[in-house]
Amino acid sequence: MNFAVVWRNLPYLLQGLGVTLQTAALVILGGTVFGVALGVVRTSRIPLLRQVAIAYIEAIRGTPLLVVLFVVYFGLPPIIGYKFTAYQASVIGFILFIGAYIVEDYRSGLASVPRGQIEAGLASGLTVGQVLCCITLPQAIRRMIPTLFNQFVRLLKFTSVASVIGVTELTGAALAVNAREFQPIEIILTLAVSYFVVCYALSLVGRWLNTRYAIQT
Amino acid sequence: MAYQFDWSVLWQYRGMLLQGFSYTLGLSLIGLCGAIAVGVIVGTGGTSARRWLRAACGGYVEVCRNIPLLVHMYFWYLGLSALKLPSFWCAILALAIYSGAYVAEVVRAGIQSVPRGQEAAGLASGLTRRQALLYIVYPQALRMVAPSMAGIFSQLIKDSSLASVISVAELTFQAGAIEGITFRTFEAYIGISVAYLLIVTTISQTTLFMFHRRATDVGDRF
Repeated sequence: MNFAVVWRNLPYLLQGLGVTLQTAALVILGGTVFGVALGVVRTSRIPLLRQVAIAYIEAIRGTPLLVVLFVVYFGLPPIIGYKFTAYQASVIGFILFIGAYIVEDYRSGLASVPRGQIEAGLASGLTVGQVLCCITLPQAIRRMIPTLFNQFVRLLKFTSVASVIGVTELTGAALAVNAREFQPIEIILTLAVSYFVVCYALSLVGRWLNTRYAIQT
Repeated sequence: MAYQFDWSVLWQYRGMLLQGFSYTLGLSLIGLCGAIAVGVIVGTGGTSARRWLRAACGGYVEVCRNIPLLVHMYFWYLGLSALKLPSFWCAILALAIYSGAYVAEVVRAGIQSVPRGQEAAGLASGLTRRQALLYIVYPQALRMVAPSMAGIFSQLIKDSSLASVISVAELTFQAGAIEGITFRTFEAYIGISVAYLLIVTTISQTTLFMFHRRATDVGDRF
């Protein structure tokens, strides 16, 4: 084993890591917001909208990520008449995908707050909005931290799939280096270690937040 | 919206899709068995009284869970290309090792959810440790964790689509091939999504039916 190949190509690989982290950050932001939007639509008063949201969530959750990416990158352009770049398509695909999972986490987080507290809040004269932002959300968000961070770590790993549609993120960069130098063991091991470090760090942040903001009882 | 949908391509290339379907099914089922084997061993090790064994199993889980499945696949397919493993078995190894880590966490949680007194009672009444695990702890743990297992299983089936990247001719790969011939991208991928939905629902519902239903029986009896 000779890891000189990694040092030689370090700038290129680091650039790939940058793209991976940037994608993940964009998707975490976008997915969190899209999850809220989906949740709002799913609890809407209009039955048709509700049904559409439920159908969307179920369909996405039953579809592999790779297929979602392919649909966005290859399938949509002829229909909507606009061609995304591979990077745009991957970010959009990831957001569409992860939103359907995040919305379920929101639901279980909100459902974990006992109904009695909401009723007590309403009975003591708070408005629905006040109950939501002062009673339900502070507790629900804390309970959501572990599942949300699991989701974020999952997403960080998923960004590797973007290499399949030609985005030069970390995996794409490593594969390109391998195609040039053909030292697969060294390169794949480096790739694995890099992902491990990044993902483990993110899950440690989640654990820390979870203990820091745990609900004291 | 000038796009004209043409769903007939799915029927026209049904042979390819069927072949892909059988590969996906094979990947999922063998991968599933592998993941369960890995998961039960590592998960049980995670509840061991021996500290080094617990640490080793915990390390395995953390390492395998924090590396993308795609990298697992490339590891066997590219990294160890000197071994010349067929791509199908590379995908199986990757799926079993990666998903095994998730199964292990669930198994560990399941075992820990069984009251310690149960195992102690088994040991006290003369069972060996292995018998106590096999006849007392596992059956109860299994029923407890059935829903999370169903989730992991459906995840594994969807993850098997990544095998197309290392050129296993499963569903996603075939959809790509059909797309290459007909340019009917949307139809091909929506078609296979439905197939995935079918497999995922069947396997996760079966898991729930087989194990979770009995959980309520146990609850009724005690």
